[in-house]
Amino acid sequence: MNPKRILLAADASENARRAASYLGKIIGSRKDFHIQILYVIKYPDKDLFPDQEAWQKKKDELVHTASNVLKKLSELLKQEGVPVSSVTAISTEAEGFSVAQTILNHQKKNDFGTIVVGRRGVSKAEEFLFGSVSNKIVHYAKDCAVWIIE
Amino acid sequence: MAKEVENLVKQLRPSLSLGEYGRLFTDTSEYMEISHGDVIQIDRQHYLVLRDESERSFGIEDPKYWVKRCIHLESGERKILKLVFHEKFMLKLGTLAIPCYRSPEKEARILDLIRGDMRFMQGFSRFDQKGNIVRIIDIISGKRLDQHVFEIEVPHKKYFFDYLPAILEKFVDSCTAIKLLHDNGEIHGDIRRDHLWIEHGTGRYRWIDFDYTYEFAENPFGLDIFGLGSLLIYLVGKNIYTPNNLQGYGFPVEKVEALEHNDFSLLYKNRIVNLRKLFPYIPEDLNFILMHFSNAAEVFYETVDEFLADLTSCMSKGFT
Repeated sequence: MNPKRILLAADASENARRAASYLGKIIGSRKDFHIQILYVIKYPDKDLFPDQEAWQKKKDELVHTASNVLKKLSELLKQEGVPVSSVTAISTEAEGFSVAQTILNHQKKNDFGTIVVGRRGVSKAEEFLFGSVSNKIVHYAKDCAVWIIE
Repeated sequence: MAKEVENLVKQLRPSLSLGEYGRLFTDTSEYMEISHGDVIQIDRQHYLVLRDESERSFGIEDPKYWVKRCIHLESGERKILKLVFHEKFMLKLGTLAIPCYRSPEKEARILDLIRGDMRFMQGFSRFDQKGNIVRIIDIISGKRLDQHVFEIEVPHKKYFFDYLPAILEKFVDSCTAIKLLHDNGEIHGDIRRDHLWIEHGTGRYRWIDFDYTYEFAENPFGLDIFGLGSLLIYLVGKNIYTPNNLQGYGFPVEKVEALEHNDFSLLYKNRIVNLRKLFPYIPEDLNFILMHFSNAAEVFYETVDEFLADLTSCMSKGFT
């Protein structure tokens, strides 16, 4: 595990922006770190849409959102002093149901020693019904550090 | 038009006599226009519409205009036809409101998946002439399980020891049926007390109505599992208990006063989950399962397997 390879799990929320900002402040201008911003796109189920066209439109919107978020978070890291050459940004499609599992698989496959993720704080009832990406990462992460930014 | 339908009915089911004959529909898009006396033709089969189905909630009859109770003229069998109705609405679950979608395609797919599995309602789907997917459902002759349980006329203690073990055996099978859906990437989506029926004659428990779906979250099965938990709480209690109805059921005022925040449902703020406080003979390990659905819960079931592992473990010890 390489702790200086940091995976920043991103989505379109304010929490992800907060996590990026925190990470930028910690790393600053140090050149011996590599940060990868990962946006996992979870395409909505086809069942939610009356036709293929409406579904495709939603998928396109999500890809567009992911691209915008990655640009904004990269810019934010740059503003905090992180060298541009130390940051990469990618989006990927969720594997199966779980965004958390997709992040963990990516971390393992690419030897990231640290995962950084924002947390919005959900009620117990919400966690039961919908689950929580950050809690699942904390629960299932192995051979890496997890930073939760609240 | 009416003559055409009258001729069809007389030819295919001469024993039937209708006061008024309606129209023949091969396109079901405008389902509001299809009513008593009309015939829906799908795939060269004919379904005479008797009435719209309705659902009773909060004492009010809620008509479901897209669900038609019919007679299949070729066989004489009664069927339910569910026509295409895409709907998005906020489903209120206690304190939470969740965007919910009605998906005919999802239900049609599940009907294919569970064909021959009598733990579910049975049926099939066909396209009408305009490409609308129509679900043709067998009618289950039976009663809601919760009503059946409620109407068992014995005190709770006798119910708990003499009736509940057999009920739970069947309930476990119903949970395993839901696991089958999950294993195939599907959810039931609307697990409520009125969606598990006990069939007359066979006594089988059968799930109905699985056309709800949601924007899948990190835990896609959470809603179904919460539904199973709520059902279990009902079965164990033989009723729903709230501070308001306890004294009506003969509980002393001290029982009401002894209730704490953690004794109530995680979602339904007024519903008592810690049933052991009301019925001390409920074993601790069974009550422990119920408490996973209470404000006291710190860990949650993520899969039906986890829920069933606890439930079958305490059932194997017997209730003494």
